[in-house]
Amino acid sequence: MEVSLTVNGRNVSSDVEPRTLLVHLLREDLDLTGTHVGCESGYCGACTVHLDGKPVKSCTMLAVQAEGADITTIEGLANGELHAVQEGFWERHGLQCGYCTPGMIMSAAGMLAENDSPSEGEIKHGIEGNLCRCTGYHNIVKAIEYAAAKMRGDEPAEPEWEVSS
Amino acid sequence: MSIGARTKRFDGPSKVDGTALYPGDIPLDNPLHAKVVFSNRPHARMVSMDTSSASAVPGVVTIVTAADVPMNEYGLTMFDQPVLVGVDGTGRSAVPSDISRWEADQIAVVIAESIEAAVAGAEALVVAWEDLPIVPDIDAALTGDTLVHGYNGKPTNVFYDYKIRRGNMAEGWAAADVVVEATYEMPHQEHAYLQPEAAVSYIDDEGRVTVKIAGQWIHEDREQIAHALDIPDDEVRVIYPAIGGAFGGREDMTLQIVMALAARKVHALGIDRPVRSVWNREESILGHHKRHRARVVTKWGATFDGKIVAVDADVYMDAGAYNYTSNKVLGNFHVAIAGPYAVPHVRIDSMAIYTTTVPGGAFRGFGAPQAGFVCESQINKIADALGLDPYEVRRRNLLGEGDPTITARPLPIGITMEQVLEECATRTDTWRESAAERDVRPFASLPPSDSAVRTGTGIGIGFKNVGFSFGFPERCEATIELGGDSDEYDSATVFHAGADVGQGAHTVFAQMAADALGLPVEAVGREMSDTATSGDSGSASASRLTWMAGHAIGEAAAVAQKAWGDGDRPARGHYRYEPPSSEMIDPDTGEGAPFITCGYVAEAVQLAIDVETGHIEILRMVCVTDAGRVVNPLLAEGQIEGAVIQALGYTLTERLVVHDGRITNPRLSGYLIPGVADIPRDLEVVNLELPDPQGPWGIRGIAEMPMIPCAPAVIAAVHDATGVWIDEFPLTPDLVRKHLRAAGIT
Ligand code: FES
Ligand code: FES
Repeated sequence: MEVSLTVNGRNVSSDVEPRTLLVHLLREDLDLTGTHVGCESGYCGACTVHLDGKPVKSCTMLAVQAEGADITTIEGLANGELHAVQEGFWERHGLQCGYCTPGMIMSAAGMLAENDSPSEGEIKHGIEGNLCRCTGYHNIVKAIEYAAAKMRGDEPAEPEWEVSS
Repeated sequence: MSIGARTKRFDGPSKVDGTALYPGDIPLDNPLHAKVVFSNRPHARMVSMDTSSASAVPGVVTIVTAADVPMNEYGLTMFDQPVLVGVDGTGRSAVPSDISRWEADQIAVVIAESIEAAVAGAEALVVAWEDLPIVPDIDAALTGDTLVHGYNGKPTNVFYDYKIRRGNMAEGWAAADVVVEATYEMPHQEHAYLQPEAAVSYIDDEGRVTVKIAGQWIHEDREQIAHALDIPDDEVRVIYPAIGGAFGGREDMTLQIVMALAARKVHALGIDRPVRSVWNREESILGHHKRHRARVVTKWGATFDGKIVAVDADVYMDAGAYNYTSNKVLGNFHVAIAGPYAVPHVRIDSMAIYTTTVPGGAFRGFGAPQAGFVCESQINKIADALGLDPYEVRRRNLLGEGDPTITARPLPIGITMEQVLEECATRTDTWRESAAERDVRPFASLPPSDSAVRTGTGIGIGFKNVGFSFGFPERCEATIELGGDSDEYDSATVFHAGADVGQGAHTVFAQMAADALGLPVEAVGREMSDTATSGDSGSASASRLTWMAGHAIGEAAAVAQKAWGDGDRPARGHYRYEPPSSEMIDPDTGEGAPFITCGYVAEAVQLAIDVETGHIEILRMVCVTDAGRVVNPLLAEGQIEGAVIQALGYTLTERLVVHDGRITNPRLSGYLIPGVADIPRDLEVVNLELPDPQGPWGIRGIAEMPMIPCAPAVIAAVHDATGVWIDEFPLTPDLVRKHLRAAGIT
């Protein structure tokens, strides 16, 4: 079946099987491999992209359901320079292996687009659908706080780290 | 100076913009697709396999079977697994290849033009099996009715054991005023790294069988591939691209060998195309080893003033279908049973047991978390029985410098258990008073009744050996090349094999090189994780990589500087570091000094428990470690926090269900790793940077220690809250309720 959509600002059409998932269209037909697959069952969030500006798990949708949609993947988030969330994840070490990171960033960016002053609870709620096995989430929350501050035009808070000797 | 700097990881930009390439992401020109077929039989003899209809499936190019494996055997420390189960030929291996001993034993690799064709080919394989009795657990295995590896000549499924015989048990019991006895059950744990297994293979320009995969030790992968293919090591090349987490779970082979076989078979057909295989989550959980489940039956004696005088224990560790690293894990488990405590009278017998279930193997902590659960639960119970403060009872038993451990030799110099314990005590001083003030809501759906919620605190401590131990010939190589046009060098490249599994090893290697060379870290280039360019680093495991690599990089820098001074351009320095050797313990008495060096940890938790529902919420947690001098606090902090949350998952939610030899919940929807909503409200991570006298720059190790004392600390807190001891976990609500009900809390 033919499916036409916009991906990272580019109009694309592709001939797909009816059962093809959106994530496979992105990864295999469009070579956008920054969108990862961790479970293929809607549970881990590694495949999160934006559909018409809202975070969705691209393994839970068929490619044909995205007909006419405007999709942004991790590759399309930066605009010449890193998006504030991407910068936050690097600055505040919100990643280790990095496999969950594109999905985390897309979820966080979607949340911050609606609310640039989230509480810690709201940040956690915004990434509840994304699993990370490496970081323990603490620095992910800090990275999103950093990004929120940047997006508001504030100076991000200094990081804390405790070493006694 | 670069040591101690919060350098941002070098791979950060590629991991935030989606350009980092994990093995399943590597762009390939016209690839073939491989489907690895599992036996799906926990225990059965293959009678026949007919590949003709599978080969006839449109798009199927070829099928790799046991007949294609020149040396059909695998094993990191003993060969006991066929690479591919099959009736045709075992090469020169002594391991019978026709028996599947695990539901995920591999039987074939179907290579096709598309994933769909490969899957269709796999479904068209016609295999006849003769089922054999399943050996589902330790109890069944110990009857010896069915031998999982009968060919090994042993009349039992116990295939490896250690002993400790110290002092005189009768004297120990005579001196004991209180005796605490229990049977502990420790569960499996699944690594659940977010990136499922994936690999690419091809024949490179120099004719080497090349595998790109996520692993933990490229040279060991290469050696295992070369062994099975029966070719020299240098005809195999292994490269690690970005690795999506490991935690010990990538130490054994999954796709390494079969993908090398696939590349070779395709090449032999005159087809010059790369092969790719990507596992889904279910294949990942079914297809790789787990943290060992185990049972320990133990009895400890102590005097009224809290001195431990006797420890008696039998350790039963379920190794699953194959050894993997079980013999090594068992050693660590065994010698850590009495924890960081001095005990004069000890009897311990530990055994690794074959069953027809998923193999046990390496997982962060490598036997120490299981031992730590036993030991710390026992000392918490002794404190409780004697009415002593849990910190105080530990103080009275701690091993100091030069004190003999239960293996009759001291721990390596630089013991900091006491400082770590005292720091934890200080940090938790005020907890009791403030506990009642906290707003408690252990679960989200319904507000609990006030009378149902109780709070409690608990602690655990532990230590972990850094580096391969028990006499293993440890080594780590590094090469440094210096560049520059003037008299002074102004740049360098580090060549290193060590795996960056996410912990940030490659950034840390550059920091150490920069420090040793007096260069800014930006001036240090990195050539990493390719057997074609680097010498053997040993594994990214055993909390060893920074310690070993630091020694090797520091020395390689000195050699390169000398070469520069001698006028070599470019100036190269290579160094193979070999640490002071450790000892295997005596088979009859357990005497010996098995470790090179150690790191130390203490954890305290405060939790709320709803006794009506069994739900637990961790309110506060402190993790104090001594990881020695820290190269990069940004990375170290993250690694410790991640380890603590993984330890909480192990303790509270992660239940792998293994029934009749099969994992029945091989999905993230049924095997629950912590999400962001599960993390403690307050987590304080403290690192005492007490230098290791043997470590480069005073470094110890970071990775594993926080995994060790979490479960016993949580269980002590549950006891503090309810008066009930629970000797098993994960503490899912149903399990907690079962124990509370049995204790009359309804
Ligand atoms: S891959 Fe889509 S949610 Fe896990
Ligand atoms: S950084 Fe590894 S899964 Fe999140």
